[in-house]
Amino acid sequence: MDNFEKHIRQNAGQFDEHRADRAKMWAKIAAELNKEEPKVIPLWRRPMVRIAASVLLLVGLTSFVWLMGLGQGADHNPYASEELMEIDMYYQDLVSYQVQLVKNNPSLSEENKAEFLSFMDELDAEYDVLKKEMQKNLDNEQVLEAIVGNYKKRIELIENLLRQLNDSKKPDDDYGYTL
Amino acid sequence: METDIRFTHRSIVEQCKAGNASSQYELYSRYVDAMYNVGLRFLGNTEDAEDIVQDSFVDAFKNLDNFKYESSFGAWLKRIVINKSINHLKAKRIPVVPMEGHEFHLADEEPIEAEATDIKKVKKGIALLPDGYREIINLYLIEGYDHVEIGEILGISTSTSKSQYHRAKKKLLEIINEL
Repeated sequence: MDNFEKHIRQNAGQFDEHRADRAKMWAKIAAELNKEEPKVIPLWRRPMVRIAASVLLLVGLTSFVWLMGLGQGADHNPYASEELMEIDMYYQDLVSYQVQLVKNNPSLSEENKAEFLSFMDELDAEYDVLKKEMQKNLDNEQVLEAIVGNYKKRIELIENLLRQLNDSKKPDDDYGYTL
Repeated sequence: METDIRFTHRSIVEQCKAGNASSQYELYSRYVDAMYNVGLRFLGNTEDAEDIVQDSFVDAFKNLDNFKYESSFGAWLKRIVINKSINHLKAKRIPVVPMEGHEFHLADEEPIEAEATDIKKVKKGIALLPDGYREIINLYLIEGYDHVEIGEILGISTSTSKSQYHRAKKKLLEIINEL
């Protein structure tokens, strides 16, 4: 630091040559300090908002868990393989169509319908067991064959039933013709 | 008895922290002229200087709990005034550091040795300095900051502060010699 700098620093007080308008400035400062700060009550302190937030959190968590469960479910395809899924879709449509035919058939007694449907239920239960088995072992050809066999049996059963119903109608028709 | 400059006016400061209005006015009275002169040196007009100083006092009183006697109250308050002034200049797009090529300026410039000069001439010379030069001269020579502090205030490196100061000082001496 040279003499020029030292001299200025030592006499820095001489640069404070102006005087502030104290009263005017203080009036503004005091007004600003006395200004009532708007009371801000944080939202989370209100009991209703707390309850609403808790409910929202609960709903959110439940949804999350449910969606996660759904996601996991999607990962574990109930159909152990694509092949089985295709077979299942094909036969399921066919079986449900034919079951509907049986149910709607007016010439079939309620007793016979119930007997037939209980048979179908048994096969359904067997199918469920087979499907579970299939999930355990994807490459099990025997299980796959058994599933197909199960469906075929159901269809066969329905076809037989429908055939019998149709056969029972025939004599009347023949009778009509013979007349 | 505490002689450390940091604890100057400690009892008044503590009373202000407790929200004592008369202590606030007492502290204000002690510092307002000095702060007003600081503001005036940077901003160059009374209106802006008054506004900045008022804002600084309001901020200081509202945030007095953050003042932990790491410096004197005056130094803490002055830093608020200077920071507000610099921000005000930046907002008005008035350069706070010399514009021309300071990135390419070499730091190893010959230091200029100068002799003590009449303070009145120095004042006139500073008033005639271009924006940017004036700020760094004020900060170093009159406010008494070192280049590390100036770097922090102006957002420049210490070496840039040094080189800019040398250029500003050179310019100031040229102006003074022409007076």
